[in-house]
Amino acid sequence: MSNNLISVDNLKKSFGGLKAVDVQELSFKKGELTSIIGPNGAGKTTFFDLISGFQNADSGEVSLKGKNISSTQPYKIARMGMVRTFQLTKVFDRMTVMENLLFSGSNINNDSFLKSILKLNSQKLYESNLKEKANQIMSDLNIGHMADSYARELSGGQKKLLELARSIINEPEILLLDEPLAGVNPKLAEDILSLITKLSDTGITILMVEHNIEAVMKISERIVVLAEGSLIADGVPNEIRTDTNVIEAYLGKADE
Amino acid sequence: MTSAKISFRLIFSLFVTAFSIYLVFLLNPDGAPRILLNLLTFAGIYGLSAIGLNVHFGWTGLLNFGHASFMGVGAYVTLLLMPHAAGREGEVTTTGLPFFAALILGIGAAALFGLLLGLPAIRLRGDYLAIVTIAAAEIFRLLVRDLESITGGVYGIINYTDNFQKYRPLFIDNFSENLGFSPSQAWVCLAAWVSIFITVLLLKRLSDSPWGRALRAVREDEDAVRAMGKNAVWLKLQSFMLGAGIAGLSGVLLAFNYGSLETTVFIPLLTFYVWAIMILGGVGTITGPIFGSIIFWVIISETDRLAYLLFENANGQQLAGVRFLLVGVLIMFLMIFRPSGLLGKKEELLLDVK
Repeated sequence: MSNNLISVDNLKKSFGGLKAVDVQELSFKKGELTSIIGPNGAGKTTFFDLISGFQNADSGEVSLKGKNISSTQPYKIARMGMVRTFQLTKVFDRMTVMENLLFSGSNINNDSFLKSILKLNSQKLYESNLKEKANQIMSDLNIGHMADSYARELSGGQKKLLELARSIINEPEILLLDEPLAGVNPKLAEDILSLITKLSDTGITILMVEHNIEAVMKISERIVVLAEGSLIADGVPNEIRTDTNVIEAYLGKADE
Repeated sequence: MTSAKISFRLIFSLFVTAFSIYLVFLLNPDGAPRILLNLLTFAGIYGLSAIGLNVHFGWTGLLNFGHASFMGVGAYVTLLLMPHAAGREGEVTTTGLPFFAALILGIGAAALFGLLLGLPAIRLRGDYLAIVTIAAAEIFRLLVRDLESITGGVYGIINYTDNFQKYRPLFIDNFSENLGFSPSQAWVCLAAWVSIFITVLLLKRLSDSPWGRALRAVREDEDAVRAMGKNAVWLKLQSFMLGAGIAGLSGVLLAFNYGSLETTVFIPLLTFYVWAIMILGGVGTITGPIFGSIIFWVIISETDRLAYLLFENANGQQLAGVRFLLVGVLIMFLMIFRPSGLLGKKEELLLDVK
């Protein structure tokens, strides 16, 4: 319990007859960089949806920092410090890159209707600090020159970067990255990988769903393998590479 | 470059608006000022309502097809709180609040109605919300019709205009006499345009603020808003309340323009007119609906005259057909030429709904 940031107990979810997630026990320690892999339809994204509150489990429990969050609203989970990205990138298309970041970085107090209509000085100050922070993050991620472009004008890879930038502006404790490399060119993939490693080095706990096995093997400290909703392997990259269950899940049984 | 584009849009809108007002004078050699006043009064009231709808749809992406009910709640609550006469026998109520107190309560009631309707409905997305809001607006209208002992039912409410007209400044009377139009309508018209001015100032303040930014984020992607730790439902409810309050104010003005209030005013057609005005003016803009509204009302009122000029020997029924054909053609033409509305930005063309 002590240093488990997230733990999952007997988590079950099915869609009709299809068992999407059925995980007995799984926990993630503070600071770990874990990848969740598995064949298509293994329940990885559903697993993310369950722990981030975007879907409710049929049974079982998810706890974050020792608190049961099984039926907590997604926005409350995000405020507790666990922020996620999406498989299909969700940026605010018809807002500028800067606005995307400012919205994400601003806290709910700053968003208040009353403050906005009175245009309080405290809000102005908060906004200018936020702008500085956003500029810093944008230049770190090489999207500074796009600050005033609408997000929908960005390329697929840049959108992934923007989504990442948006997720880290609030300095989360835990990041759930759903396929951060999908549809990204190899050069940018390198950049994103080194960014993820850097974030992990600063102490952020990272859970990542990713299909690019090479990249996963390279940067993960731990790999969790799901197949048909169940946990079939859990260990350091070298163990996973030779695990027979994993090879079977991806390639099929030898005698079939 | 952007500012050049903005000024082009603005100049174009001003030009079209000025041209359509000129048309009123051209088509009506006699009594143009009176017709223009009537037109501008309706344009002001509907424009104000469309500005409120724009907060829902343009800013937050909420498909609200029950806007008429917000206008109705504002109008009925305000009128019933003041001295009035209602029902078949014209039952007189002599006690009541002064106009401004009733107005504020009416606007508040409209916003509250927005909240109450929103609480169960706002979790629905896109077209599902549209269906619920249109149904709720009809329920409201039918309830008002059937609660005859309170609302006057189909017989409506009368004798309430004095509550407002007694504040009419003298200069309006002098002014109206010279130009030959009704001073009471001139007063409603002035009130409508002052309301628009104040509302626009208010919304300008909000649109660039963190609050306005949050609404636009909800419009773009609710899930991403949640993932960023923001309560999307509460943001949508706030947007619903603000837009409903603005609609409530325009409903009150509409009631004072008519002189008697019946439930048939708040049929769904009213909502669709307001939608047309918003789309013509530019979805997501603040001042767009003002231009949209003037042009819409010129089209609605002057196509009649135009049809008459085109077909001299036609009878009334035939003219009505031609007239709505012209309305359709003109609105279509405007939308082909300016697909994002008169003031709308192409980058923010907002006719897609999530």
